[in-house]
This record gives sequence, C-alpha cells and structure tokens, in this order.
Amino acid sequence: MTIEKILSTCVYCGAGCQILFTVDKEKNKILEATGANGVTNQGKLCLKGRYGWDFLNDPQILTKRLTGPLLRKNGRNSPLEPCSWEEAVGFVARRLTEIKKEYGPDSMLVTGSARGPGNEANYVTQKFVRAVLGSNNVDHCARICHAASVAGLLVSLGSGAMSLSVPEIEDAKVIFNIGYNGPDSHPIVARRIVRAKQKGAALIVADPRRTETARISDLHLQLKGGSNLALVNALGHVIIEEKLLDKTFIEAHTKGFEEYRELVKRYSPESTESITGLKPGDVRKAARIYASTKNSVILWGMGVCQFSQGVDVVKSLANLALMTGNFGHSSTGVGPVRGQNNVQGACDMGALPNYFPGYQSVTDKEAREKFEKAWGVKLPDKPGITLTRVPEFVLHPPTPEKKLRAYWVFGEDPAQSDADLSEMRETLHALDLVIVQDIYMNKTAEFADVVLPATSWGEHEGVYSACDRSFQRIRKVLEPPKGVLTDWEIFSRVSTAMGYPMKYKNTEEIWNELIGLCPSFYGATYQKIEKFGAIQWPCRDRNDADRGTSFLHKDGKFATKDGKGVFTAVDWHAPVEVEDQEYPVTLSTVREVGHYSVRTMTGNCRTLRNLEDEPGWVQMNPELCKDLDVKHGELVKLSSRRGFCFSRCFPTERVKKDAVYMTYQWWIGACNELTIGKLDPVSNTPEYKYCACRVEKVEDQNEAERYIKSEYSSIKARMGVDKEVWA
Amino acid sequence: MNGFVQGNPLLCIGCRTCMIACVVAHEGKRIFEIDPDGYDFHPKLKVVKTWAVSAPVQCKHCENPACLSVCRSQAIYKNDGAVLVAHDKCIGCKSCAEACPFGAIEMVTLCSEQNSDGSPRTVANKCDLCQGLEGGPACLSVCPTEAIRRQDEETLSDTLKRKRVGAAEALLTLGAGDHQSHILKSQSV
Repeated sequence: MTIEKILSTCVYCGAGCQILFTVDKEKNKILEATGANGVTNQGKLCLKGRYGWDFLNDPQILTKRLTGPLLRKNGRNSPLEPCSWEEAVGFVARRLTEIKKEYGPDSMLVTGSARGPGNEANYVTQKFVRAVLGSNNVDHCARICHAASVAGLLVSLGSGAMSLSVPEIEDAKVIFNIGYNGPDSHPIVARRIVRAKQKGAALIVADPRRTETARISDLHLQLKGGSNLALVNALGHVIIEEKLLDKTFIEAHTKGFEEYRELVKRYSPESTESITGLKPGDVRKAARIYASTKNSVILWGMGVCQFSQGVDVVKSLANLALMTGNFGHSSTGVGPVRGQNNVQGACDMGALPNYFPGYQSVTDKEAREKFEKAWGVKLPDKPGITLTRVPEFVLHPPTPEKKLRAYWVFGEDPAQSDADLSEMRETLHALDLVIVQDIYMNKTAEFADVVLPATSWGEHEGVYSACDRSFQRIRKVLEPPKGVLTDWEIFSRVSTAMGYPMKYKNTEEIWNELIGLCPSFYGATYQKIEKFGAIQWPCRDRNDADRGTSFLHKDGKFATKDGKGVFTAVDWHAPVEVEDQEYPVTLSTVREVGHYSVRTMTGNCRTLRNLEDEPGWVQMNPELCKDLDVKHGELVKLSSRRGFCFSRCFPTERVKKDAVYMTYQWWIGACNELTIGKLDPVSNTPEYKYCACRVEKVEDQNEAERYIKSEYSSIKARMGVDKEVWA
Repeated sequence: MNGFVQGNPLLCIGCRTCMIACVVAHEGKRIFEIDPDGYDFHPKLKVVKTWAVSAPVQCKHCENPACLSVCRSQAIYKNDGAVLVAHDKCIGCKSCAEACPFGAIEMVTLCSEQNSDGSPRTVANKCDLCQGLEGGPACLSVCPTEAIRRQDEETLSDTLKRKRVGAAEALLTLGAGDHQSHILKSQSV
C-alpha cells in the first residue's frame, strides 16, 4: 500500500479550510481527511470538510458519476447516449457556430462555476465567451447569492469583497451580524464569531430566526423578514441623532453624507417599529454598541442579499461603517461572507457580464484594449445578460432578435437552485440548445442536448479564492475516472474546434496568463501561494515582500476613483409578494449545514446523507403547527402561486409564526417550486427570502410517505443510479 | 470518579460534526467503502436545540447508574471509569432508556444482527467514551469550536473552585438576602 498525504483546500464554502488527505495511491482512494493548519481553519474542520470527500468514491447514493460524454443523437426527444469526445465537442462547436451565425453572439449564455472547477477554469470560460462567442453573456451563481454585495460595495467603497480577513473577526470588539447564519453556512467562520465572543466582543444579531449566532448574542433583533433597510436606516438615524458619528472620518474620507442625513431623519426607531417589529429601545441600544468602537465589524449573508432590495441594504450597511470610521485598520469594516467555495474566485475571474478578470470593466476602453491585445480579437463593449434573466430572455425577450437560444450550464443546476422552478423548466424546454457540463447527472442535465463530464474537485489542480480574497491551492488528490476532462480542457477543445485555438499545458500556465492581465492579482504567483499557503489580493508585486492585503481601504483610502467612500440614501420598500388570505405565511429559503449547494456532492456522501435526507424539513413555529394540527415529522404540503412541494414539519420556537423556512437542496421537498423570480433591479438577485405561501396538513400520511419513497427512487433512477452496484 | 464528556452551549454551533464522528469511530472507516445502507448510523450523543440552548447530550457515566440498576440481563456494566452496554447481552427491554434521567440511552435497531425469530435486533445504545478506540472520545477531537470537553475529577474540581470564588465575591457586592438569586443567575449565563 502506497500512502500519500496531500494538502488541498475544502470545496464546501468560502472559508477556505485546508485539509490534509491521507490517500491510498494504489487503490486511488481517500482514507481520511483531517484539518491542516490553514490561515482560516487552524486545524479545524466542519462535518462537510471532514466527511464530505466520500462522493469521490462514487457510492451512487443519489446520482451516478458521469464518466463519458452523453448526446441526444437523434434530436431533442431521443435519449442521452454515450458518445466520444470528438462527437461531443464537434456537436457543441457546430451548434454554437450555427446559432451565432443565425442569431448573433448575444443569443448564447454560458455560466461560470463557483464550485469545484477553480479559478483557471473560470478564466478560460469567460475568455471563451468573450473571445470566441463574442459576447459578454457570462455569469454564474454569484447572481443568486452575493451579487448584491459586489454591486453595492463597488459603489460605496470601490471594492465588492470582504474588507477584512476571516481571522480578524475574532479580534473585533463589536460584531453586527445581519442576515447571516454562519453556523449553518460557514461553521469555520462562525468559529471566529464564537471566539470573538469569548474574547469579550459584543455580538448583535439581526435575524428573524433564533439562529445559533442569535442564541449566543448579547442582543438579538428579531426583526420581521423583509424589513432590513428600515432597521439599518434606523441605526443610522440613532447614530446621527445621538452624535455617535466620526465627523473627522466622514469629512476626510467620504462624500454624500448630507443627503443621507436628510433621508434617515425619517427613520427613527419609533417610526420604523411598525415595519421591523422591533422595540425602539433595542434598536437604539444596538446603534450605541455598534458606534462605540473602531473595531466594529458588520457580517452579512443571504439574509441581506436575497431580497429585491439587496443592493440598497448593502450600501446602507456600508453607510454605517463609513459614518463611524470603521474602516482602514485591522478587525473592522464590512464582511459579505461569500457562500460557495469559489464564488469569490468566479467573480475575480470575470465570470460576470460586466467585468473582465480582476474587476476591469468591459465598458472601460483601456481595459478592453488590453484584453483585445492579449487575446488577439475584438471584444464586445456592452455588458451581457445576467443569468437570472435567462427565463425572461428566453420566454419573453424584449424583442424577438434578443431571444436567447443557447445556454451552456457549467457546474450549476438551475433546475434545482433557481427561483420559480416551473418557469425554469419551461425555459430549458424552450431553448434551442442546452449544454450541461458537470461531474454528476443533475436536474438540469435532464434537459440537456449534450452532457460534458468533467474532473471533480480532488481530481485537478488549481486555485480557489476564499471569501476573504485568499488565493489558495487545490491539488489533485485522486486520479479522475477515465473519460472525463478538466473543465478548462473542455472549453479549450470547443474553442479550438470553433477556430480559436486554445491550448494550455496546465493550470499554472493559465494562471500566469491571467495574473499578467490583472494588476491586483499580478504578484500572486503559484510559487508564492505555495510558499505562504495563502495570498490575499490585492497583491501587486511579484517580490516576496508583497504577501497580499489582509484588510482593504487602509487609512480610509477607498478603492473608488477619487478614494472616497460614498454614502447612499435609499428608502425602504416592502417585499414584492406579501402574505394575504390565500397565502398567509411567508417562505424564506435557508441553509442546512450538512449539505452543500444542490446536494449532488454531499448527497452522495454516506454520513452527510445519514444526517439529513429527502424530503427535508420545513421549520415552523409550534403555534402554527398547532393551528394546522401537524406534528413533528409529519409530511405537509406547501404551495405558492407558482407551485407546490412536500416537506416534513419541524416545529421550533426559533422561528416566528408568520414565516416558514426551508432549504433548497431537496428534489422532492424543492422549495424553489414556490419561490418568486422577482429580482433586485441592480444585482438581479431573486427574492428567495420572501414570498407568500400556504402550509397544509396532509390527511393520508401513509399515502404521502409512499409517494415520497417512489418519487425518490424514480428520480435516482433517472440520475443513473445503478441499484445493482451494491447487490 | 468516572469522567464524562460535556458540551458547552455557549460554544456549540449545532453543526453535529460530533454525531458523525461518533458513528465513524464506532463503525470504523470501512463504512466509506461499503454499501451506503450496510452500516448502522446510531450516534451515541445527540445535539439538542431549543430557544436557549444548542449542545450535545450524552451519558454522564453516573457513579450509581440508574440504567445499570434496572438492567435485568446484566448487559450494563462499569469498566475502567465508564458505564457500558454489552450489546450481546441486551434483551432490548428499554428499562435503561426509561430509567436514565438524561435521555442519554436510545434503543436502536442494528442492520447486521437478528433476533432468534429473524427480526432485526434492537439494543440499548449509549456513549462509551470511545473506550478501547484510538485517540479517546471522537466527538471531542472533531468539534470545530472546542465546545466539547472531558470532565474528570480534576476539571470538575477546577470548575467548582471557580464557581465558589464567584459565589464568594458575589457576597461582597450584594446586600444580604439577595445573593442567592444572583448566584443562580450567574450560573445560568
């Protein structure tokens, strides 16, 4: 037995934990994963990090690993059949060329992937879209996640990322945690919150649920869902009214304060009580605590971004930090904690419709010319379509010429993860061409004309960007199955077949090309990442002395053009679809700590599946359960104006009576059948956190249980699970 | 004195890594190579979540265990500072589960063993402090927030000393008659 120890970065969230794998090289099997001494995780791992590699063994619990390309050889209605790579690449290249010729470059959209593939693959993806297809129609799941943070903070601060690093959280004196459930989404970041608390930090949590963080907080503002901006403006109101602001900082480093001051006059804690449901005294107390130090940190997540007013709330949170001088030094500032392992990276790499890699705007002539020169082609100057607008551009295009015809879904699963799934299914049916590139069969692949199998995390090299801008290496731990290719190789082959030859020897060659084009990544060579373990961008110099930047906006110099932080004054408005008689409670989608994304990976890990499995739970207040006469574990039916699903009742005092909460990774308990596709006008992020729904008792529990069981088996069979494999 | 494993609700984030670690420690790493339905997933500790608390609950390895005294089949015994269940002797009568004041014993059905009539075997399942397993209690070593610790004579004595100091100091700052409620309050923090 040849045993090797291999270090890599975890694939399960933006914390970027370092894992040491013990591998039996002869059997090509992982034996164990233990926490390595990474900057963020310091030897600790959560359940996903520790036990979430099991899917690499292909146990066929949920889906079967893809090991060769699949093609509908006889058209749309024929089955997906195995084919050669030549056939698959030829088909994709031919169809894209035809569609481009007939309908133009903007009739196609390609996603990046914030999950396993890594930065290099995303760089090649967006290069393919821009240089070969000739469009900026490239986007990825940041759109349904932290796009609001990126868009908002770019305006306020000039940089959309966390201003501080994860380890700095534990030295904060105050943490204002709003719409962020670290213990479920990033346990190893939550560990820093716990440690900050141990070190004496005051913890204020604004969340409609009694989350784990709320439970250990000093002050829990259990606000009504959808009232974030009213609360944040009220905090600003108190800080101004009680003269808790930092005038020197405001004068020296910001602009737009006067307009903001005028606006928040209307937002006293007393006048907003009817919106937020919070006691004015608590809001005042929170404002006083927050404004009392220069080490106050604001952390937020999806509870801020997944609203139709997400960008406005992000800007307003930046207002709070600006007016109290909470920028420019260590353990202060703003922390939009990025969810998926490489969602920061996919943004960094320009898998966005408005940015080249390194946040260089496609509308900036100078930047465009630089990339045109490097790539040797003319590049489009108009920002592309965001992926949440795919349904609109397929089903109801602004003009017939603008209709989207082709959708290349790379490492995502919109038929599971996007809002309003019935609309998404209609969209996928209506497209001329659907290409799915993944490691597993998934719900979207059922609509694909061609399926391209890729190497998984653990089977390829590369770099991920953690939530705090840390570049860290991922390494090949196992040999991939025969018949799959790295994601960047797939794009390179299609590109070459379309007449734009792309050939890379390895990921380092890709990395060197991209850091050469991005001043803020220029100094972060593979060699330096290897040497120091992690390099946080900006890192502009190749010299070893430049080890990156742990916190941004040093000394109050912001990344905006004039170096000033910008106040934005915005009014609160109510969520789009509010509860009524027919749909009397609200549904908010949340996270389950043991499962990740659409669950194709964690659902195929034995022990994570043991903890939670179909159809999942709906968290309900015990009083609501009593009113509906439903008990713990009973199946209930949930419906909205868009669809329905079944879930298990989970009575908990941690949620209020007016709202129920579900996680989005279940096939049968698919809460996205209910969610609304209404978008934030700027970030285009859907309002996953608020729609009106109805919960109903299911009278015949036995029949419902039989339905769940048979439906589960039937989907597994469609996903290629071979029942005989363990027989 | 018997030691025991104890969760701290001020540090616990409810992630349940400990529950999986418990199963992996007892079933062995073989589970990652076999039929996903071919092993028992029966954690010997359970994370409990209420409005105020999240923490794993497990056996306290009582000095005079109620479970042991009610066991009619001599399946429950003490060994080297732990209270253990001999699964082969357990008749599944559930008396111990009922007797335990902490709900730390659960009746579980084993996938690999049958009763004499061929029905699946159900036995009592509880924390064994990972006795005989390498590395000590698995839950403790994997907890990402170090919310689980082993209490033994020494650590318990330290805790008690600290509490007594707190109680004594409270006497100084409070008026007579008021101190008892204050001490109770500080203990519940």
